[in-house]
Amino acid sequence: MSDWSKVTRPIPVPNEWTKPFWESAKNNVLSLQRCQACKHFQHPPYATCVNCMSVDLKFEPVEGKGTIYAYTIMYHTGDKRFASAVPYASIIVELDAAPGALMAGNLLDAPYTEAKVGRRVELTFQKLNDDFTLPQFRLAQ
Amino acid sequence: MWENRCKVVLSGVGFSKATRTAERPLAAHALDAVKAAVEDSGLKMSDIDGLATYPELPATGHAEVDGISIVSVNCMMAMLKLPNLTWHIQTGSVNIGGAVQQATNALLAGVCKYAVVWRAMHNPKGTYQNLPGQYAAAATQFTGPYGFGGPGQGMAVAYTRWLEKNNQNREKMATLAVTQRKHTQHNPHAYFYGTPLTREDYLNSRMVAHPFCLYDCDIPVQGACAIVLTLADRGRDLKPTPAYLAGYGQRLHFEVAGRIGSLSSYMAGGSSSAKLTWERSGFSPKDVDVAQIYDGFSASVIYGLESYGFCKEGEALDFIQDGRMELDGELPINTFGGSLGTGRIHGLWHIIEGALQASGRAGSRQVKDVNVSFVGASAPIVQGTTFIFVKEPY
Repeated sequence: MSDWSKVTRPIPVPNEWTKPFWESAKNNVLSLQRCQACKHFQHPPYATCVNCMSVDLKFEPVEGKGTIYAYTIMYHTGDKRFASAVPYASIIVELDAAPGALMAGNLLDAPYTEAKVGRRVELTFQKLNDDFTLPQFRLAQ
Repeated sequence: MWENRCKVVLSGVGFSKATRTAERPLAAHALDAVKAAVEDSGLKMSDIDGLATYPELPATGHAEVDGISIVSVNCMMAMLKLPNLTWHIQTGSVNIGGAVQQATNALLAGVCKYAVVWRAMHNPKGTYQNLPGQYAAAATQFTGPYGFGGPGQGMAVAYTRWLEKNNQNREKMATLAVTQRKHTQHNPHAYFYGTPLTREDYLNSRMVAHPFCLYDCDIPVQGACAIVLTLADRGRDLKPTPAYLAGYGQRLHFEVAGRIGSLSSYMAGGSSSAKLTWERSGFSPKDVDVAQIYDGFSASVIYGLESYGFCKEGEALDFIQDGRMELDGELPINTFGGSLGTGRIHGLWHIIEGALQASGRAGSRQVKDVNVSFVGASAPIVQGTTFIFVKEPY
């Protein structure tokens, strides 16, 4: 099991497109940008819908169930902020409700060896400070 | 087919002596490489009237200082003081391959006669990806907090997907690392010239970002290489046998910054660039005699082979086995050692080797009876370009 206790995660800096994502996450709700014209979810947020080019985009809550699309196990300790957790799993999750909207996360509460492509995961939240909470993932119960 | 096929040639090539650390300023490396390329072509420096480069420093968290960590067109102009300069450009959207394509276009437009293109790469002191920050801004706000710190991890996530989706084994990649290092032993300019690598070395090496071990990653170096491009009519009168540019392409796939790990994006980037190159040149993958495919990380070759159309998706690790990528194999690959052998100079060296193989100038690593020589320069996803050089214009 990776020891995250001494890790100093960098704090996200929201911009005009991403602010609603982080405000929602702070309330333990995952909201992704959704095109109101074609109903396509996308992540990371962007100025236009990458599917239909509409600019009518809103953030909507999504259910946090999905699969590991891809992952890597980090062994290199070059990034001192994360060196104490090595080896750890950084994963890319594709949510059932938002195909193609790939989200980064860590596999929490499980040995890093449990990270496998196609494995079912569910959303959890990890508080960073009073202003920011990270959407995170753990193996589906 | 492209009406301008075989109208531009790659003539002289030049290299600096690449070193692991930045003992000499990067500008000195770039100058060495440019001088060597001009001399190789048999031209005088005053003949050069076009300059192009892609100066970006891929190491994050380090200052871009012109002449020290990058070599811009402005820096090169100051060093060369070219009396007949008529054209120059720095590219941004497709790495060094874009600079080569822009120089090609400038020659075809008649706005310069002899263009020099260089790529100079700096290895900063300390950690290559320097990530000390307390904050994750812009595209990194969705990746940095989860410990995604560098391009190695970005590539590694797509590779796990490729491996597990296709039920493949990373140990097969040893063939690529070992064969390319074997090729490196025919390239005196390469960083790992004189340093062989065995299958056991590969299999026992330390993990960096699973599934990448140390030998899946190119080594950062301080170095530069350069080329001279000109129109075919002029190139035939120069010292070296010219390599004719039969066609080129660039990635057309769009990717939102910060979205990482998408294997399908690698494939879409590569196939969009290759499609243009096949159509413009009139060739297809089965016509290719030798291929240079960008290998900043080993898996790039896998995505390249599949997205360019040399083999089916999911089959590239099997495709490179049984001697197929050897110098006398069915499709010799990265015959100069690749970036894994030369050190990290990005894609210009792949372009150079593609041209040298087409013109029969590759020395002891020359593949027999080469006419069609393919190059995939830079990783296909966001920076990819592709080229075909031929020996016989048509």
